[in-house]
Amino acid sequence: MSEILKLENVSYVYSKGTPFEKVALNNVSVAFERGKITGLIGHTGSGKSTLVNLLNGLYKPTEGRVLLDGEDIWAKPKEIAKVRYRVGLVMQYPEYQLFDETVRSDIGFGPRNRGLSREEIDVRIKEAARFVGITDEMLDKSPFDLSGGQKRRVAIAGIVAMGPDVLVLDEPAAGLDPKGRREILGGLRRYVEEKNITIILVSHSMEDMALYCDNVVVMNRAEVFRTGTVREIFSESGVLASVGLDVPGISGIAAELISRGIPLEGELYTVEGVKDAILRYIRGGAR
Amino acid sequence: MISDITLGQFFPGYSPLHKLDPRTKIILAVLSIVAIFFANNAVSFALLTLAAVVMIAISRISFKVILRGIRPIIIILLFTAVLNILMTDGKGTPLVEFWIISIYTEGIVRAVFMALRVVLLIVITSMLLTYTTSPISLTDGLESLLSPLKVIRVPVHTFAMMMSIALRFIPTLIEETEKIMNAQKSRGADFSSGGLIKRAKALIPILIPLIVSSFKRAEELATAMECRCYRGDKNRTKLVKLQFKGRDIVWFLAIAAITAGIILLSILPYKFVSPGIIYDIAFFKI
Amino acid sequence: MKDEIIRTENLSFTYESDGDEVLVEDKLRGVKNISLSVKRGEYVAVLGHNGSGKSTLAKLLNMIISPDSGKIFIDGVDVTAEDFTEDDVYNTRRKIGMVFQNPDNQLVATVVEEDVAFGPENLGLPREEIRRRVNSALDKVGMTAYAHHAPHKLSGGQKQRVAIAGIIAMKPEVIIFDESTAMLDPLGRRDVVGIMEQLNREEGITVINITHYMDEAARADRVVIINDGQIAADGTTREVFSKVELLHKMGLESTQGNELLYSLGLSGEKISGEGLTSEECVEAILGYLQGKVK
Repeated sequence: MSEILKLENVSYVYSKGTPFEKVALNNVSVAFERGKITGLIGHTGSGKSTLVNLLNGLYKPTEGRVLLDGEDIWAKPKEIAKVRYRVGLVMQYPEYQLFDETVRSDIGFGPRNRGLSREEIDVRIKEAARFVGITDEMLDKSPFDLSGGQKRRVAIAGIVAMGPDVLVLDEPAAGLDPKGRREILGGLRRYVEEKNITIILVSHSMEDMALYCDNVVVMNRAEVFRTGTVREIFSESGVLASVGLDVPGISGIAAELISRGIPLEGELYTVEGVKDAILRYIRGGAR
Repeated sequence: MISDITLGQFFPGYSPLHKLDPRTKIILAVLSIVAIFFANNAVSFALLTLAAVVMIAISRISFKVILRGIRPIIIILLFTAVLNILMTDGKGTPLVEFWIISIYTEGIVRAVFMALRVVLLIVITSMLLTYTTSPISLTDGLESLLSPLKVIRVPVHTFAMMMSIALRFIPTLIEETEKIMNAQKSRGADFSSGGLIKRAKALIPILIPLIVSSFKRAEELATAMECRCYRGDKNRTKLVKLQFKGRDIVWFLAIAAITAGIILLSILPYKFVSPGIIYDIAFFKI
Repeated sequence: MKDEIIRTENLSFTYESDGDEVLVEDKLRGVKNISLSVKRGEYVAVLGHNGSGKSTLAKLLNMIISPDSGKIFIDGVDVTAEDFTEDDVYNTRRKIGMVFQNPDNQLVATVVEEDVAFGPENLGLPREEIRRRVNSALDKVGMTAYAHHAPHKLSGGQKQRVAIAGIIAMKPEVIIFDESTAMLDPLGRRDVVGIMEQLNREEGITVINITHYMDEAARADRVVIINDGQIAADGTTREVFSKVELLHKMGLESTQGNELLYSLGLSGEKISGEGLTSEECVEAILGYLQGKVK
């Protein structure tokens, strides 16, 4: 597998040397596969937010290295800003970072900082807006005149427009209803497929993980607890539950059916997957 | 983390100084300030220094913390001290004469007194107020002390409520500023290079979101308060009532006595006792 | 009716009527012709997508905004009457507690117990009574150990529990949770929903949970769905969640059990029975499969 982003024995300690010292990450090594969506799950305080901030150089590891395409991102500390264009980070509730007069200009903030040409910036704004579903008409409005869900998309477009190779999103669908979640996460899925970029997605929702991710990294107590494909992690019963995470309701139903003598096989962590498994069972059994 | 910093710096604890009623501490601070400004002789300064040392000792706050509080002003202290030494003319013969500079005993004494005055001012007020009193009880104390002003329609309660809400939200806003800064850094914003104008401009992407969200917070908070039946101090009671205790009276009497003594010393006629060099240093008037 | 704590009649509200320039977001949020009755002791979920008008309904019920037309009765009193004074508002608000979305923006004090005391202080209760209520409210939400902590050092879920304690201490008859779990992590959500249920079952407090999480709504006794400012469905949780197609049309989802049965149905396997809970869903499928094998 080809890795684009990799952590090597990374530790991060908050307020080192003071009474408030706290180890947020303890000797973590993990790699993120190019062109895939990797889900990052774990409890609040498991270290996943710290990990996210290390990926684009907002935090500097206390120990260990963060490698982007095999190069240490802190090799030249003065050029850390360049890393941030390549590893785009969408923080939680990103709508609170909007500031410019128009949506267009706000989305263009990152590309302008990157020093792209005016034409290039225009193209990127249009493209990013299209990806997140912002209409041309909205581009000339003030971002403060949009609804909460629209603001969220503008903020995501602001990062997408920088043209990152890796897009890291911290709970991009927090607080949105099911339709809003589907639109944002589905849009990202398409984006990965079209542009062949890499996405790292932090979410509390196991359903979203099951539906939209390829790989999963499970964090627990400042360490990486497990890594694997969605199928590996979600099929192995007890992995998620053992670190106190919720198993998708549908997995529970599938597990119960299996234990009651119905041999189901397949992607038993989405409604679609379980439905297909049951259909296969029925149609196979009817033969 | 930055959000641990609050206004001044409160060190939680259970020392006798911590336990004093905030109103007592405010009164003591005012008395001490008066005493410090009246102090103009070695005996007075010795008394005040003793008082400060006693406060530090019983507050159980480490001496290092106190030094750290003074450190930022050391340059200014030295500068004024040097000026005082150089600019003061004395009566007797100068101690040192060199080129156009002449230094008199009076100059040195004055310089020491001035420096002591500033240091005592900082140490005593921070011992009484910021270090040992939580901002919220300070606010309570102020509200209670100023409550007579309600008669002339000064909205004392409203001011106190504003103060305490400000204190409540300072850490929240600092945290939020940190978040917004990180968000803009992630979009390539640069806050640390370029000239003054460029740097000021770089703050816009932080300030606007911060202001917008503060307004949103203010609105939501106002709604929440209204829903919790807040309507100013109309028919309002309080969970914690400030009460003067025995130790408040003891402290008040001690500090009041020192202040009275210092005022007396400062206005006593100079020629009351026959002059001499010991006398001059002890009761030197500036 | 005496056991009716809240009743609204043809309630309508649009933000345009404020005269200010209206934001896109607000236009979506008006409500039209809402007639709703909530009985004492009920546990009702109000479900709707973002911008459906469900939070506007909450603001109307708590007299933060007043309706363009229609009436609201709280505990039999018409709060939309013209002669309803500010004192009346205050007296009615004691009966309805509100817990909001952002836990940070509803805590006023710098110490947890002083924040819980804020409501009772506003009610002008004697000190001993305030002390009793603060202690018991903190105990009910499991935050006694944090009584002397500063709110900004707590987690989101803990802050929200403090906010709930602040409402409990006012001893309201109804508590409206206005998207109170939207900003919490799963653990915080579980705690807050657990407290809602405990308050309803053990203290007999009427609970109205305004949410867009269907798993939360599925735990209530009754579900009201608001869509485009109007009531689109109102019934027992079982009834409402069995209408999977209707939920989809409104941008919502049903429980995963119901979703599975529904999607099996679309594939030609019409299973009778319900999937409100996972257990029911398993039984329904097993029953169907046994019939099929025979």
